[in-house]
Amino acid sequence: MLRFGKPAIRAAAMLILAALLSGCWDTKDINHRVLPVVMGLSKVDGNYNMFLQIPEPTSDDSKMRIVSDSGETVSDIVDKISMNLESQIDLLHLKVLLIDRKYAEEGINDSITSFIRAQDISPKTMVVICDEPLDRFFDAMSKPDNQESTTLVHFFEKNAGWNPQVAQTRIWQMFRSIHSYTNDTMVPIIRSDDSTVIQSRGSAIIRNGRMVDRITPDDTLMINIFNGHSAQGKIEVMDHANVEIVSNAISHKSRVAGNQTFLECHVRLKVTILETKGEPSVAQVKWELEDLLRKRSEALLAKLQKRKADIVAFGQHFRTKIPRDQLAKWRTDYFPYTDINLQFQVIVQNEGNLKMRKH
Amino acid sequence: MLLDRYIPPPLKEDSDFFIRKTRLSQLSVNIIGYTSLIDLPRTLELLHKQAESGTVADLNAEAFMESFGKPVKAPDESTIMTTVTRGDILLYFSEHDAFISVTPVPKVLTRSIEAPTTENVLRGAISSLVEDIETNIGMIKKHAATQQLRVKSYSIGDREGKRLSLLYREDKLDLALLRAITGKIESRLDWDVKNLQQLSDMLGFSRWSFVTRFNSTELPQEAERGLSQGKAILLLDRMPFALVVPSLLWDLFAVDNDHNFPVLLMYLVRLLRIVGVLTNMIVPGLYVALVSVNPDVLRIELALSIARSRVDVPYPAIVETLLLLIILELILEASIRLPKSIGPTLTMVGGIILGQAVVSAKLVSNLLIIILAATTISSSTVVGFQNSISIRVFKYLILLLSAFYGVLGLLSGLVIICAYLASITSFGIPYLHFYKPKGDSRG
Repeated sequence: MLRFGKPAIRAAAMLILAALLSGCWDTKDINHRVLPVVMGLSKVDGNYNMFLQIPEPTSDDSKMRIVSDSGETVSDIVDKISMNLESQIDLLHLKVLLIDRKYAEEGINDSITSFIRAQDISPKTMVVICDEPLDRFFDAMSKPDNQESTTLVHFFEKNAGWNPQVAQTRIWQMFRSIHSYTNDTMVPIIRSDDSTVIQSRGSAIIRNGRMVDRITPDDTLMINIFNGHSAQGKIEVMDHANVEIVSNAISHKSRVAGNQTFLECHVRLKVTILETKGEPSVAQVKWELEDLLRKRSEALLAKLQKRKADIVAFGQHFRTKIPRDQLAKWRTDYFPYTDINLQFQVIVQNEGNLKMRKH
Repeated sequence: MLLDRYIPPPLKEDSDFFIRKTRLSQLSVNIIGYTSLIDLPRTLELLHKQAESGTVADLNAEAFMESFGKPVKAPDESTIMTTVTRGDILLYFSEHDAFISVTPVPKVLTRSIEAPTTENVLRGAISSLVEDIETNIGMIKKHAATQQLRVKSYSIGDREGKRLSLLYREDKLDLALLRAITGKIESRLDWDVKNLQQLSDMLGFSRWSFVTRFNSTELPQEAERGLSQGKAILLLDRMPFALVVPSLLWDLFAVDNDHNFPVLLMYLVRLLRIVGVLTNMIVPGLYVALVSVNPDVLRIELALSIARSRVDVPYPAIVETLLLLIILELILEASIRLPKSIGPTLTMVGGIILGQAVVSAKLVSNLLIIILAATTISSSTVVGFQNSISIRVFKYLILLLSAFYGVLGLLSGLVIICAYLASITSFGIPYLHFYKPKGDSRG
């Protein structure tokens, strides 16, 4: 064995090498980094416009500032802004990527792909579409009343302000939507609002990274039910009652006959009744709710089939049943013609909260 | 005078040394020894009583002399010197020109049995070992009342004759381990052993180790636990500790007193100690890793509040952490040195004044104070002070690696420490081994 000096010398050499190899002088402390939480991106005539919302680490209250610039590519703009700021921009803490609606309709494949490949933005970052020009949105955000720097972040966070009528989509899901044959996604749409800072405006249907249509908050809830995203806490309004969904379970049965695809979809909802108008019976509420859900989802699915965007990911159930070369045509040749049979089963729980007739 | 030629010149100069003439039965006797080690009046009393019970007239002279003690054959200066230094007295019968070495009534030079000073006992026996090796063996025997307990005593050292005792239970201790330990001791009986470093050398342990190979304890109860687990106990004269070999990782977290609590609470308390050790090793490194290398791991709110608390701090995280850690180590070390009455003052100055001032001087961030408080507190949850020092050292390895490589460095630091601990063996028993006594088939 090659002996290299005394143990003490060896230990010292190892320590020095460890320090040298790591390039530890390049690390910057957290107070010398700028941590933008929201990035706004729009595209005008092939040029990108970027807005960054940066919380200011001042010792008193949390303040934020908004910087913007434009350029040929995203990294080019980040470089430009970084050069003009006193600290280095660290995009790893980016929580929300806000995309201008026009750019989304044009297709955001390039940006999403480069974010995923370059890895300086976390794939967990939320993607959101802004329903008004970005400069107006950020102007509203930077009003003195709205100086809370993490408002937009909390709006989409499951343990904070999120609720099931709002879609929740991350960059990796957009990336999947671009490349998967059978999986599309929806992206929440927001705009600024005078009283609540942010106003939810439903969701965009994204097909292959391009916004093709939009749906209402109620439809967003339906899709969240189909995707098994805890629909908990959601209140459903009908003519006679207001219910809260406690839990939902969904099961699918898929079948292929020739070129025709069949899907049976069984949704089981456990709900509890919160409020009633008049004196409906439990059975009546249950029946009405099942009917309402079926009608609503049938209309929604018809819309999706028309747009050829499979945001409920029904195609996943056919991945083993359709040959791969055919699967590539799932969105155009199969999904619009799939025979979907929906069944809703509602179970009313916690009847003790409200005294109601059974039948 | 005949006696004179036997007595070594240095002894004659020694004012502690005495020669006392007396008569036992009809024989004239010179008693020699050290005043400071012998309770002379009571020893004389005993000698006279002994002389009355069997006089020279009844026995022959030789039997009479031997009734006091062991005759010294071929007395010379060095044997006289050793006997006297050991604390015995010599009777010189001038008519017969013979020396008898006698065990006298000693002066009490050992403190009485007290409560332990370095280990606290909440429930369980409170008496702790003392400097006197006989007392210690007796106390351990009281705790381990079994016929299987064996004691082997050695007199080690070239000239000094220090006592080293090996205690073990014959039915529990593995024979190979016993042979290894006795073999090492017996082959080095002439070594001077005054401290644990020398004892460690004697047993053939590496000198360059961050982990002590002896689990030293002040409590006879802990020693008994070692014995019944099939470990060996070493007792060194004038050392108020029982040294349990081999010392293993689990000894960092378990003490025998735990068994005096309900089982579930015992496991929770032990879990707490493990958490304490991990906290102490990881937390400073984690702070540096998160603040300077991988801030992306933090939640955004936390990242912002940390950034806010570090706004005017001039030094990088590793420097400020090292700065305060060293000050804390100084406080720990200083509070050992200080008399008990001044200790609290130091804690107050160190903790409150320094902590407050260092933050308002913007030398370090607020969060770091919390981190370091947690670190220091948790460093003491581990069992045994000697182990807490090892843990304190490991912390710096993790800290440095974290400063270089961030969270990855922290993890690799933990791996390195685990690998290091796994590489340690004592007498062929790995440090990470779950020890069980001979013939125990459990586990």
